[in-house]
Amino acid sequence: MIPTNPAMGGNDCVMTATGLVKSLGGKRVVDGIDLTCGAGEVLGLLGPNGAGKTTTLRMCYGFLRPEGGSIKIAGHDLERDGDAARRALGVCTQDNTYDSDFTVRGNLVQTGRYYRPRIANLPARIEALLKQFGLEEFADQKPDTLSGGYKRRLMIARAVVHEPKVVFLDEPTTGLDPQARVAVWELINGLRAQGMAIVLTTHYMDEAERLSDRLQVLQAGRVRAGGVSKRVLGDVVGEHIVLIETTAPETAQVIAWFKERGARPAQVLAHWHIPLDAPGLAAFVAAFPELRYEVRPPTLDDLFLALATEQVS
Amino acid sequence: MNPYLPAFAWQSRAILGRHIRVHLRNWHTATVPPVCEPLIMLLAFGIGLGRQIGSIEWGGGQLDYLHYLAPGILAYTTFMSSFFQSLFGAYVRMHFQKSWEGQLTTQVRLEHVVWGEALWAATLATAYAVVVCVMLVVFGAAGWLTLHWAWLPVVIPLLFLMALAFSAVGLWFTSLLPSIDHMSLPFFLVILPIGFASSTYFPLPDLPYLEPIVQLNPLHHLAEGLRQLLLHNEPTWHLAAAAGLCLGVLALLIPLDMRLLRRRVFGDA
Repeated sequence: MIPTNPAMGGNDCVMTATGLVKSLGGKRVVDGIDLTCGAGEVLGLLGPNGAGKTTTLRMCYGFLRPEGGSIKIAGHDLERDGDAARRALGVCTQDNTYDSDFTVRGNLVQTGRYYRPRIANLPARIEALLKQFGLEEFADQKPDTLSGGYKRRLMIARAVVHEPKVVFLDEPTTGLDPQARVAVWELINGLRAQGMAIVLTTHYMDEAERLSDRLQVLQAGRVRAGGVSKRVLGDVVGEHIVLIETTAPETAQVIAWFKERGARPAQVLAHWHIPLDAPGLAAFVAAFPELRYEVRPPTLDDLFLALATEQVS
Repeated sequence: MNPYLPAFAWQSRAILGRHIRVHLRNWHTATVPPVCEPLIMLLAFGIGLGRQIGSIEWGGGQLDYLHYLAPGILAYTTFMSSFFQSLFGAYVRMHFQKSWEGQLTTQVRLEHVVWGEALWAATLATAYAVVVCVMLVVFGAAGWLTLHWAWLPVVIPLLFLMALAFSAVGLWFTSLLPSIDHMSLPFFLVILPIGFASSTYFPLPDLPYLEPIVQLNPLHHLAEGLRQLLLHNEPTWHLAAAAGLCLGVLALLIPLDMRLLRRRVFGDA
């Protein structure tokens, strides 16, 4: 039976990973991670460098073999029924791994040849993809001549040439300018609208927030928090962020006060960021009525700060 | 898992097809080296140097140098082009172009990528050997060379086996070389000793310490076997020895290549 994903209102999960474990170079990089993704859903994997995002993704698309746990793609077990599972998944790797000996169109044709059962009406599918991804005018150029944004478009088009049910995107917009990023986001939204399940890794906060239906925050090879993005923030960070200038004369006293109460202030350039819940905020306001400060809702940046502070302590 | 079965999988053929397609697209530049290199060798050594040497002693009789060299060049071309392609070509695709990683995100697995590379190197080397055969026929038509021509098409499968064996050697180095700067190492360690201790370009001196090395060198047996066959119309044990040694190399290196490349590509044992 295919398990259902409660966050998707009971829709079938087309991707389930359970209890993934992996060590690389003698170090455990993934330590019991569970993931699910439903059709038409975007799952964002978020975490600092070294959290195990890419290794998790590489296990899910069959590049690395997990030491423990199991992965199902569209009902096929990746270990026992690998061929069928791989037919149902598509991958955009972190590096551009297109075939630089072929043109843009040639890349799509050649990728199509790596799938059986064969892709129905491949030439028409490729023309449609070139149009959908805005690659028509570059179709006969070598991919190395394209700009960064268009190279990523080609990588994503390659990943979906065989109309997979699950697409894995490893940092799809890293290194792109803001305009190119927005264009890639729109393409990913388009794939979601077609009903593909999309699992992406990123360390861009805005990308995870805007693109993902659900977030899973990884830290040191484990899931630190998961769920819809607002709830993840509330769970890990707190409801409010208080900002205090580091140069204010009473700052040292205030920070000591916070630390006594178990809060975890993080210093970023000229400000202390202190995540607080509602009673914590009320207590702070009452304790320092004269202090100048700023209060704002948490963002994913605060989440990263919180995770980094946790790791240090 | 049996490391030889994936050779027959559709994925390996798809990878082989990819290499053939890329090669044929650049056919005009890709055809120049295989045509020119043996041609230059035959002209420079066979005719040029041969005129200085006159005849040499081989098989208990006298033989002019061009006739000695012709079967040797056929064997040497097969060995050299297969080794070079599986080493340099595969290394570039694995390390710099990252096209292996791109292929591995599809239904293609590492064993197919490796077999695709091996089959491609063997196919290309065999095609180059066929070019050499054509060239020998041209030399024959010009009246410079007399061989038992009917054997030429018969030996092609043996040349393919030889090329496949040396592609396994090339891939072994691909799996081990830390960087492209170490590319001279396999040339020094494989091409030079195997090429020189092989009786392709000149008869080997009768030295006791050389004998065991020569007897284990499949290229030597191939060159000598082809020479007896094409010059004297005699199939000899050398051909069987060449085939046997090639099968031995494949039996030894294919499982090793798979294991080492798996470690290199995936970073886990």
